[in-house]
Amino acid sequence: MGILEKQFDENLLTTKVDWLLNWCRLSSIWPMTFGLACCAIEMMAVGCAHHDIDRFGAGAFRASPRQADLMIVAGTVNFKMAERIKRLYDQMPSPKYVIAMGACATGGGPYYKFGYTVVKGVDRVVPVDVYIAGCPPRPEALLEGLMKLQAKIQASSVIRRPARTA
Amino acid sequence: MDFKGIHDRLRAIQAPGLLGADEPREADPEVEGDKGRAGDPFVLVDPQAMPSFLECCRADSVLSFEMVIDQTATDPGTDEDHFWVNIQLLSLAHKHRLAVKAILPKSDPVMPTSALVHKTCRWHERECAEMFGITFEGHPDPRNILLPDDWDGNPLRKDYEYPEEYHGISCK
Repeated sequence: MGILEKQFDENLLTTKVDWLLNWCRLSSIWPMTFGLACCAIEMMAVGCAHHDIDRFGAGAFRASPRQADLMIVAGTVNFKMAERIKRLYDQMPSPKYVIAMGACATGGGPYYKFGYTVVKGVDRVVPVDVYIAGCPPRPEALLEGLMKLQAKIQASSVIRRPARTA
Repeated sequence: MDFKGIHDRLRAIQAPGLLGADEPREADPEVEGDKGRAGDPFVLVDPQAMPSFLECCRADSVLSFEMVIDQTATDPGTDEDHFWVNIQLLSLAHKHRLAVKAILPKSDPVMPTSALVHKTCRWHERECAEMFGITFEGHPDPRNILLPDDWDGNPLRKDYEYPEEYHGISCK
């Protein structure tokens, strides 16, 4: 630990359970290895050294839905794939999050009018937390979306329901 | 060999099912409304004789079309009563190509399979079958290739009606 070694006495930290749990969750969002189309190429770029999604604790792409917290739907979803996506989502343990990456996953994109087998938005199959615009989105946009998701997790509460506004 | 030579050779060997040929041409200014024709020259073949035609094209040593590059179908419009079935042939030995077309009536879109002559046609005919509703008789594996097995309708037909929902997922 170098410069930090032996600089502090033994300490107690006081914090809120919510804050601590949320901090743990948002600092290690493990995405599922899962790409459907060209958006997945950008997602891979985000995983590589130049953009490096691991800076945000989300670099451990898991090969099993049972180890994953986040599903990045990167690409066009068709009806054949939609049932598989639903099954994979059901296999993920809670708390689980979904990012709809790009125009296709958000709302059908260029296939909206004439794509006879394209699902017009993955939110018709699984609940989506963050939508990212772009066709495909830049890697920075995916990182922005991840940070939005982290802000959403930070605002969530484990021990009580969030106050309802009338 | 150019298209004219190929067509002459096809007539000389009396290729089965050969009906005629068509070549692109400029618009004729004398005729009102004439737009000419763009695209490739093609030979027109009777769809019921398509397998024997392809077999003949492959067996002839001057032509030796041993490869099917592509097979598709075309729906020219809701006011037309036929489909086009298009096959692109390539000769690796002589490095020449040929476009083969067949006219298939929409009321009875049935033709014999070419998959027993060229294995390439297996997948292409499966796609034509699900997209246009063409039946290829004698096909060794007539399942859907791209669409789900329980999909209704033939999406590339011009009169195709988009489904309202599929397995509870709204399509609109």
